Amino acid sequence: MVNPTDIQMDERPKAKGRKVLMNRAIREALDYELANDPSVFLMGEDLGAFGGVYQTAAGLIEKYGEERVRDTPISEAGFMAAAAGAAMAGMKPVVELMFVDFMGVCLDPIYNFIAKHATHTGGKQAMPVTIMAGMGGGYSDASQHSQTLFATFAHLPGLKIVAPSTAYDARGLLHAAIRDPNPVMFLMQKELLGLGLWGTMPEASSIMPDEPFELPIGKAFVRRKGSDITLVGMAATAHMAARAADQLAEEGIEAEVIDLATISPLDRETILTSVEKTGRLLVADEDYRNCGVAGEVIASVAETIGHRLKAPPRRVAFPDTPIPFARPLEQALRPSTDKIVETTRQLFKEFA
Amino acid sequence: MTDIRIADDQWDGDNEGNLLTWIYDDGAEVSAGDIVVEIMVEKLQVEIEAPVSGTLRHARAEGDLVNRGDVIGKVDLA
Repeated sequence: MVNPTDIQMDERPKAKGRKVLMNRAIREALDYELANDPSVFLMGEDLGAFGGVYQTAAGLIEKYGEERVRDTPISEAGFMAAAAGAAMAGMKPVVELMFVDFMGVCLDPIYNFIAKHATHTGGKQAMPVTIMAGMGGGYSDASQHSQTLFATFAHLPGLKIVAPSTAYDARGLLHAAIRDPNPVMFLMQKELLGLGLWGTMPEASSIMPDEPFELPIGKAFVRRKGSDITLVGMAATAHMAARAADQLAEEGIEAEVIDLATISPLDRETILTSVEKTGRLLVADEDYRNCGVAGEVIASVAETIGHRLKAPPRRVAFPDTPIPFARPLEQALRPSTDKIVETTRQLFKEFA
Repeated sequence: MTDIRIADDQWDGDNEGNLLTWIYDDGAEVSAGDIVVEIMVEKLQVEIEAPVSGTLRHARAEGDLVNRGDVIGKVDLA
């Protein structure tokens, strides 16, 4: 097992290593779990014959057949509830729902059945459902295809939420998600999957081992060590924070970068350990600002070591407005490396 | 030396592809049959294998638009 704290953001290709896009990493994890656990099956819209809108299941229906890689109609409430039933009957369904934005259609099976079932049965019956969905914006796909909705799901007890930022993390966390007896939402940032049409952040590709491995759900990763400020991000904003840290270092500000990787349960220990050292905190979150994960991270710090902070915490989040289609408007509102750098500069200026 | 060429029937239609990623660096040793490059065509992902074993050389860059019939790299025999 690789020590997660040793995994750095800079995993660009070393000579001869196999550099893998995040969507291939996901496909390899699904392939392995299908091959090695007969209770695992996939279900979703366009997942079988087409291989998934993100090509996460490309080639799997040919290998495992229509029973185990199932194309569903556009009936999210139906197939999400079917996943709950299948899990009760001992299966491990992996359900892909193309865009997290459409999760509202099937929220009742998710939060009344899937999330609560273990509690309702006094812990006697597990609910090993993995829900995969694409999320995030930045490529002009308008208000119903660009949200992250981290906080919407993190707010519901009983669900684990992961949002990997690299192909390596995606592979390790998806193995862990499928094997977890609890329901896990596996959120795939479209910009990080490696597919040109959704935008591409090259840092998301990783050198990939051939053998399977698990990464722990509920553990944040320290991507860069620093002593002056803690920058927290998740999925795309983790990369923005890392790029910001590079720029800030040139100005003499050494930022520590934490990639949450898991949104819920939140790894407060790693955050607190870092902020205890740096005394400053900025959270970059692509989700809406109001009642968001950024606010939760800040509250967790404020209610424990708030009295020892050297400056008030800061948030760089999406303003509380539907995400615009127009590219200049969306780019103006979305968190960015520049906004993280500028907010950090201001913080050091105001509270020198 | 053997060219890595996008076959004339690699995908249907006359669409251009987007070279998504080289799975191995320029100069890496690859084996015949290794998937070395991925191309996005419309919404489908296309994989191309190394035709022979040897040293991989890139001729086209990630993000380039490519067409069927294009030579996108080569493998120098060991």
